[in-house]
Amino acid sequence: MRRIQEYYRKLGREPTDVELETFAQTWSEHCVHKTFKGIILYDGEEIDGLLKSTVARVTRELSPEWCFSVFEDNAGIVDFEGDYAIAFKVETHNHPSAIEPFGGAATGVGGVIRDVLGVWGEPIANTDVLCFGPLDYPYEKLPEGMRHPRFIFTYVVAGIGSYGNNMGIPTVNGAIFFDESYVGNPLVYCGTVGIVKKSKYKREAKPGDVLLLVGGRTGRDGIHGVTFASSELEEGAEEIFGTAVQIGDPIEEEKIKRAILKVREAELGSAITDLGGGGLSSAIGEQAHRFGCGARVHLERVPLKYENMKPWEIWVSESQERMLLIVPPSNLDRVLEIFADEEVEATAIGELIPERRLEIYYHDEKVAELDVEFLFEGLPRVRRTARWSPPELSEPSFEPGRLGEDLHRILAMPNVASKESVIRTYDHEVKAATVLKPLQGEACDGPGDAAVLKPLRNSWKGIAISNGLNPEYGKIDAYWMAASAIDEAIRNNIAVGGRRIALLDNFCWGNPEKPENLGTLVRAAKACYDIARAYETPFISGKDSLYNESPLGGVTPTLLISALGIVPDVRRTVSMDFKREGSYIYILGETKPELGGSHYYKLKGFLGKSVPKVEPSKAKRTFEALTRAIDAGLVKACHDLSEGGLAVALAEMCFSGNVGAEVELSLVPTSQTMRHDFILFSESNSRFLVEVPPSKAQEFEALMNGVTFAKIGETGGDEVVVTHLGEELLREGIRELKESWQSGVRL
Amino acid sequence: MKWEVRVSYKRGVQDPEGESTLYALKMLGFDRVKDVHTAKLFIIEGDYSREDVEKMCRRLLANPVSQDYEIRRVD
Amino acid sequence: MKLSEARVLVMRGPGTNCDAETAAAIVELGAKAEVVHVNRFIKGKRSLEEFHGLVIPGGFSFGDRIRSGAIFGKMLSYSLRRELQSFVDEGKPILGICNGFQVLIESGLLPFGEVGEPTLALAKNASARFEDRWVYLRKCNSSLFTLKLKNVSRMPVANAEGRVVLPLGEEKRMLAQLEENHQVALRYCSAEGEVAQGEYPLNPSGSYADIAGLTSPEGTILGMMPHPERAFYRYMYPDWTRGNNEAKGDGYAIFEGMLVYIVERF
Repeated sequence: MRRIQEYYRKLGREPTDVELETFAQTWSEHCVHKTFKGIILYDGEEIDGLLKSTVARVTRELSPEWCFSVFEDNAGIVDFEGDYAIAFKVETHNHPSAIEPFGGAATGVGGVIRDVLGVWGEPIANTDVLCFGPLDYPYEKLPEGMRHPRFIFTYVVAGIGSYGNNMGIPTVNGAIFFDESYVGNPLVYCGTVGIVKKSKYKREAKPGDVLLLVGGRTGRDGIHGVTFASSELEEGAEEIFGTAVQIGDPIEEEKIKRAILKVREAELGSAITDLGGGGLSSAIGEQAHRFGCGARVHLERVPLKYENMKPWEIWVSESQERMLLIVPPSNLDRVLEIFADEEVEATAIGELIPERRLEIYYHDEKVAELDVEFLFEGLPRVRRTARWSPPELSEPSFEPGRLGEDLHRILAMPNVASKESVIRTYDHEVKAATVLKPLQGEACDGPGDAAVLKPLRNSWKGIAISNGLNPEYGKIDAYWMAASAIDEAIRNNIAVGGRRIALLDNFCWGNPEKPENLGTLVRAAKACYDIARAYETPFISGKDSLYNESPLGGVTPTLLISALGIVPDVRRTVSMDFKREGSYIYILGETKPELGGSHYYKLKGFLGKSVPKVEPSKAKRTFEALTRAIDAGLVKACHDLSEGGLAVALAEMCFSGNVGAEVELSLVPTSQTMRHDFILFSESNSRFLVEVPPSKAQEFEALMNGVTFAKIGETGGDEVVVTHLGEELLREGIRELKESWQSGVRL
Repeated sequence: MKWEVRVSYKRGVQDPEGESTLYALKMLGFDRVKDVHTAKLFIIEGDYSREDVEKMCRRLLANPVSQDYEIRRVD
Repeated sequence: MKLSEARVLVMRGPGTNCDAETAAAIVELGAKAEVVHVNRFIKGKRSLEEFHGLVIPGGFSFGDRIRSGAIFGKMLSYSLRRELQSFVDEGKPILGICNGFQVLIESGLLPFGEVGEPTLALAKNASARFEDRWVYLRKCNSSLFTLKLKNVSRMPVANAEGRVVLPLGEEKRMLAQLEENHQVALRYCSAEGEVAQGEYPLNPSGSYADIAGLTSPEGTILGMMPHPERAFYRYMYPDWTRGNNEAKGDGYAIFEGMLVYIVERF
């Protein structure tokens, strides 16, 4: 604020309301990521730009030639085949979903789809990762006016399904996680994958080009959405920010999509961007900044939903389903015709000018004149302090109980249990390109590791989309939570045959002005650098949402890692269900006594301390060997080990494939002598279970040279049997195990 | 003129949204809820007679096979 | 006519979203397919006469507001009535998939082949939900569309309003009539081909008499809730990784039947 006062004192005038609103939007946390770009003092270290020195540094150092556009656009873009590239973006829409879950989630989906349209991409798939409070949270404990997790869950799922289904974009991958810290502040991560044609990716706007506002009309809805997103959710937020909540119109966006793709094909535009946070003010300002020029805008030309909107309201409105196209004047008529054909409103509201300033008019009155340079470079960098000290935790001591019963109970825990009832309400195969679907196996109900798409009709090349999320580990150490999330996203991708993996990061944290929150954030970001650098997996896009707090407190630090891999031939893709009797079962990777934050400890009422770690150099060898084995056609089924460890992965592979298995626990490679129950339920990273036909075993084992692995059993029968040195530890019918797993979460 | 048109499933045609609402209300402890039915309400402004609005219903607003409609003038 | 000369119209409205893969299915079989917006016909810029067959693909036309398929259906029955009726009377085939089936019902074209008031309804699924799931279908007639279809086939449904409702109190009479005319084309069934008898999830919507698809009395119009274009190749199946890798999926036959008929007839 002081910076702005100084600036206007120098100019010798007062700022107008439009100008002040522009600063409020452009300089909000949501738009500039003050924290990630600021200076952080941490443990005697001065971090000059957290993003730059961690996440973005991975990409800078690796700078792979297949990265087409990273951290520059609203979506990251990587090469695919020939002229085709793949865009991927993941956004959050947490606060709107807390207040109006259906509209909040739906517009979250709508918004991230526009991010992909905003890089001239054709959206082909959606992902969604959702975090809610426990569905059985007692009503009595709920603060007045706060929605129950069950209500939020139901309507968030409905909102996501509605938008994606209506637009005909399949929702192919996701996760749902429950934790008490999300009761007052759910997390809604929405992602979209799109196809870009590199030769049609136009970023060449110049002064004289027309600013064309297309799509829905502008209203008061969504005013101050970004300031809303950058503040804590206080009681009464509903009234204050009521206008920030909106209902989406997917059909309008579907029409916009058609028109934009036609403009793209005909190469009639010189630039494009979506209207998201900050509305016109952010979009036009950013474009002027990007192209080193300015813009003149006539706000009275903006089509409105109703009269009597003030100029500043028009300027910052965040009404949904709008995009900004920049069009050379000679192409304008043809572009207008294309939009008219799709019955989408398109209005020229101004033009780019050579002077580096924004001139905003309302009728003939100039309501703002802003220096583009100052608007984008003038914000003083924030300095913040971060603090972290390891929490006082210890390992629990308890006697193992009945392992079969524990397995049933873990399978029914909401974070492990089947999400089929949710997945079925999403169209996951419209476009007929979802080659590996989220539900797999003999009865099409097993939990897939990643989705595989075949985006081009005349090519067998595919993409694999997966995610990693471990909020439970963050309660012990955000560093290893982040490391585990990266490992999980990558190994899910590897498990289906993905490689050349690119990552996206999405941080959802509590208020970063609290040094403890910032401390865990710094640790997580550092892990992003260390682990992704070691795995040679660049980050191509990311987002942070840092004020996830409610009267019940902040959310537990939550990092979502999304991964995008390439599958050279989708016909080689592997699903997670066991395929037949008499196959060999191999475990890859080392099992360690790492049960801190595990579901087994949680079941027993503990958190523990021994959080799973990652050893990238070893893990990388495992990943590479597994990829070679999949390419050689030796792998019949493959599943990564995550929540619930070996026991859960084995059970899932069995009941999804409708065939039992018998494994010998003493054969599992462990780092040290471990209790049976710990071997079964440890959540050590970088591990897989693999089904190999006996005839291919020799070839498979040769390929695993240098990797920690072991053959631990065979498929057969209709029970999961676990022995240790011949002594039976567990024997459970696969039908019953499936029933437990399917009983956990019902929409 | 202002008309309200209420379109709902005919009695005898299953109303799944009504049923699941009933289920959910009972789950929340509203035990005395006996039945729930859903309807869609259209508010139509314009200079039309009741017969015209009837026509609107038959031609577009309701599928006479599965739905009933009720017309009410509200101004 | 030669197959390569067969021209099929894939008609879309705002919110149609399965047009690309539907057109691709036709093109992959060797015919021509063109996706054209319904407005082009209403404005007289294009004519149905240019085409030998019509497909109305899936999606959420007009956001399924009022009722699924209602607005698109009325657009056809009021604004394109004459053109459409002569298309039908010339014996040109029409296929409505999912939302397209709903459109055909709302336009009156199904079940009796006459543009006008609907005589049947597709109501909200008994589950009250949108549901994407693979189902088994029993072939119940041998219309041009189903001629080449296996007796028991698999395809996915993905809809919220797929429950066939017949006029109250006249269900039995109408069903008998439909059966007598061989208009019941597809029924939900088990893997073994036993009709679902309303059992969920075999019959995913609670559709009356397990009806999944209906043809007109002449058999030249088919409306079906399942998506044949999503079962066109095996790799589109949810369990193809379990070994069944033959190239074609069951949905192939629906389009093949339509095109074979066009080639023979015109």
